[in-house]
Amino acid sequence: MNSSGPTRALSTFQSQGPPWMNGVELLDDALRNKRFLPTGCEGLDTLLGGGLRQGHLTELVGPSASGKTQICLYVASYVAVKHFGSIVFFDTSNSFSPNRVASMINQICEPVHKEVFFETFLTVLFIFKIPTHAQRQERWIMKIMNSIHCQSVFDIFSLHDALHELESTLMKKTISEDKKICMLIVDSVSSLITPILGSKDSQGHSLMVSSGYLLKKLAHEWNLAILVINHMVSGERGTTKPAMGESWKCIPHVRLQLSRSPGSRICSISLLRHTSMVSRSEFIPFFDCFITLILGYFRYLIALQNTIQRFLF
Amino acid sequence: MEVSALPISPTNKEKLISAGYTNLASLVIVSPIRLSRELQISVQEASNIIKVTLQCSGAVGLDGRHVVLRGAQTAWEMFSDEQNLKHISTGSEDFDGILGGGIHCGEVTEVGGVPGIGKTQLGIQLGVNVQIPIVYGGLGSKAIYIDTEGSFMPERAYQIAEACIMDTLESFRFHRKGAEDCHERMQPNYFLANILYFRICSYTEQIAVINNLNKIVVEQKDVKIVIIDSISFHFRQDFEDMALRTRVLKELSQTLMKLAKKFTLAVVVMNQVTTKRTDGSFQLTLALGDTWSHSCTNRVILHWDGNDRRAYVEKSPSLPQASASFSVTGKGIRNAISHSKRVRMM
Repeated sequence: MNSSGPTRALSTFQSQGPPWMNGVELLDDALRNKRFLPTGCEGLDTLLGGGLRQGHLTELVGPSASGKTQICLYVASYVAVKHFGSIVFFDTSNSFSPNRVASMINQICEPVHKEVFFETFLTVLFIFKIPTHAQRQERWIMKIMNSIHCQSVFDIFSLHDALHELESTLMKKTISEDKKICMLIVDSVSSLITPILGSKDSQGHSLMVSSGYLLKKLAHEWNLAILVINHMVSGERGTTKPAMGESWKCIPHVRLQLSRSPGSRICSISLLRHTSMVSRSEFIPFFDCFITLILGYFRYLIALQNTIQRFLF
Repeated sequence: MEVSALPISPTNKEKLISAGYTNLASLVIVSPIRLSRELQISVQEASNIIKVTLQCSGAVGLDGRHVVLRGAQTAWEMFSDEQNLKHISTGSEDFDGILGGGIHCGEVTEVGGVPGIGKTQLGIQLGVNVQIPIVYGGLGSKAIYIDTEGSFMPERAYQIAEACIMDTLESFRFHRKGAEDCHERMQPNYFLANILYFRICSYTEQIAVINNLNKIVVEQKDVKIVIIDSISFHFRQDFEDMALRTRVLKELSQTLMKLAKKFTLAVVVMNQVTTKRTDGSFQLTLALGDTWSHSCTNRVILHWDGNDRRAYVEKSPSLPQASASFSVTGKGIRNAISHSKRVRMM
């Protein structure tokens, strides 16, 4: 308290730097805190080696009406049903449909329902009050749906505000262990960035990169599995490519591409990029792994074409 | 939020800032004991500061419940809200069926189709139908109509309003409870008076009006639908920089999204069609490009199927892809009747 100003400033400055971690600690942290959250969709889970990983930023790109929002809603419902924790959903295009989520939860919960029934049966024995089946079902769905938090975000600045607010909520540790936030979904990040990107000044560009890094920081520090949605724009010779260009490309850890032929109910998903693929290493020859380590990432251009059942109806 | 904005005594504020607590995030994680030691104040005082900070940063709601984000709603709350929402009928039951009961409030719906398919007719019909009083099962609200093409015909609107009133009264003939009160509301002139019409002659005007909608809706209170016929007209005429067009349009769509969410009103955006080359063949798609196609919550395409008009839900987060036929009659949009054939002018 009585040290002089410059010394204090210097010590504050030094204490700002993060402490180092060694490899064993990192591995330990990765094994303990960075779980794979299953998405509930078999094809996608096999492709990702278990699901969306906590601490990773996963990007899902696809053309309009290819099922991107459906996957988001399904993943959110599945994670909520399996009680992995709370989900935060940032909605930019009013496409979070609670009705759809409710019906998806109903679909997923059918196998789980028996144990819930047993649980309620036990409590009923002690309270001597028998709720009807519909009431039980509703109460259960209510509990699950209360763990999905949806926030509407309509511009990049409110996204930044919301992320900072989320960070301070996470810091407070006021949320109990079972309600811990484990997943963040942004549907879609490109709607927020497109209006500011591409003009002559570079502000939009830096906002895009800083939101990317903010998301990654949150993912790493608070063990969130982050899923962001991006759309496709037309590239050269009539092909389509993911929007937001080259500098966004290196931000997500995992990049998935969705496609669906018009009129069909099956959509296929392919892996465009994956930074680690730890759990997949057994499928890749050793030499490839070595290259992977050197390059930092590798592209799996439609090497693994997994067809997943479209969740639509 | 800054520490200086906290409702605490100036002495404590000064102490907090000089101890290095400048933002609220740093203050909420500290324990009262540590804070009291650092600021040299009593523990009681320190815990009071933390309590105030928690309240101000929105961690504890008024009822003492912990919320994740201030603006966020849980899915269950949204689900309960949505149960009470009314949908705006299109006039045709089949069409309403594929839309899940009608046009949803709180969402942006894009309607596209070839010229003459009935986009403007649908727009006028929705502008009229939103005004059906609550006792007759409608929303009893006003409509904003933004016309960029100059195709809104007041005579036609009068005709549709008249037919709508007749049909509504007809279907409610037997239960007249409370219906007497809104007798004067069931007049075509009253319906026309509640359509707020903007004639837009350039894209600058269009951007200005859309950005100003927030204020207009607040002033008019009871607007439940905004119809833009069409969003693409001026942007397809004299816009050279395509990248700029994409950005401007995306921003407009986010403005509309915000409006729809804030006032739970329906936004219906008409769009024209264009040809697109895919795999060597030309196909009809909606105008304004790929980025725009992500900009709406729902997308409905109106098309011809032989001599019938059909509506097709191309994308929607809550509805399956489906199509239904409808017809444009003298009364407005109605169910398709098999004998009503389009008269082809050769």
